[in-house]
Amino acid sequence: MSECIVITSGKGGVGKTTSTANLGVALALMGKKVAVVDADIGLRNLDVILGLENRIVYDLVHVIEGECRLKQALIKDKRVEGLFLLPAAQTRDKNAVSPENMRDLVKQMKEDFDYILIDCPAGIEQGFKNSIAGADRAIIVTTPEVSALRDADRIIGLCEAAELPEPMLIVNRFRAKLVKRGDMLNKEDILDILAIPLIGMVPDHEDVIVTSNKGYPAAFDEKSIVGEAYRRIARRITGETDVPFVATEEPDTMWTVMKRWMGFSKEVAS
Amino acid sequence: MMNLLDRVFGRTNGGSKEDAKSRLKILLVHDQVDLTPSQMDAMRAEILAVVARYAEIEPNKVDLRLERSGDGINVVSSVAVRRVNARMAAG
Repeated sequence: MSECIVITSGKGGVGKTTSTANLGVALALMGKKVAVVDADIGLRNLDVILGLENRIVYDLVHVIEGECRLKQALIKDKRVEGLFLLPAAQTRDKNAVSPENMRDLVKQMKEDFDYILIDCPAGIEQGFKNSIAGADRAIIVTTPEVSALRDADRIIGLCEAAELPEPMLIVNRFRAKLVKRGDMLNKEDILDILAIPLIGMVPDHEDVIVTSNKGYPAAFDEKSIVGEAYRRIARRITGETDVPFVATEEPDTMWTVMKRWMGFSKEVAS
Repeated sequence: MMNLLDRVFGRTNGGSKEDAKSRLKILLVHDQVDLTPSQMDAMRAEILAVVARYAEIEPNKVDLRLERSGDGINVVSSVAVRRVNARMAAG
């Protein structure tokens, strides 16, 4: 069975592209055949996050306009078997593509792939409508902030209106220390506010910056806690239940307790 | 003593997340309902006028807000009353 999942958020900069890249890698590492599609026409970035920017010849708009075949535009990732990128056009705008075009494209891709992940652009305009057109379900990325959660709620409403069944939530940039001292919304707070099921929590970690510099998604790195979070989300996507959430709490050591007790630590809000 | 224990174990209550949560709850309901602040004011004034026909009210203690409940939205209003006037109600 083949499934098309749109990765969306409403707000920009919350980690849609990073999530799409990492989930693509993680699913491919599980032996699935995966295509990641950059639907952000005119502002492509998924190629850069994946480190495949130098290999683009054709793009999504070329395929839709019939200038090349789908197979010619798909870039094969050489680091893992079964991962392919369909890049966005950089010099066109989102009106070059219609929801009907995307539905046809996804239908065609489903013949070849187990999973098609669509990296949706920010906003709720044409690019969003194109991205959800061929999707079977949605994963909504948010961060534990008022602005991102507000936009996520709006997107949940739009997904429901478009009859995308049961969107699921990734909470990105989670900071256990801030949660612990009451300065960040925790898992329960967020689920209480948005009322959709959680599919994963991704800690805020420097790995994301380092891996984006290198074009080498954290999901490739067995030691990365960010990579581990995405690998677990990938397992949940494939239907595995009982995948534990990554421990995002950093345990207190004797030394951090001492420092806090003596009042040296700035992390204590008194 | 609790304060000290809280410090040792890194617990504090009522951080800024409470602000985030209460702001979000109001924000999301208003995003869905799509009533302008002036429409909300008008509704508040009309509810006040209706209650005032039956009771002597405290005009400054009128609260009207929208709240999420389950999958719906409730309009919640509370009006402080000095006393209910039987003659007013009868007339």
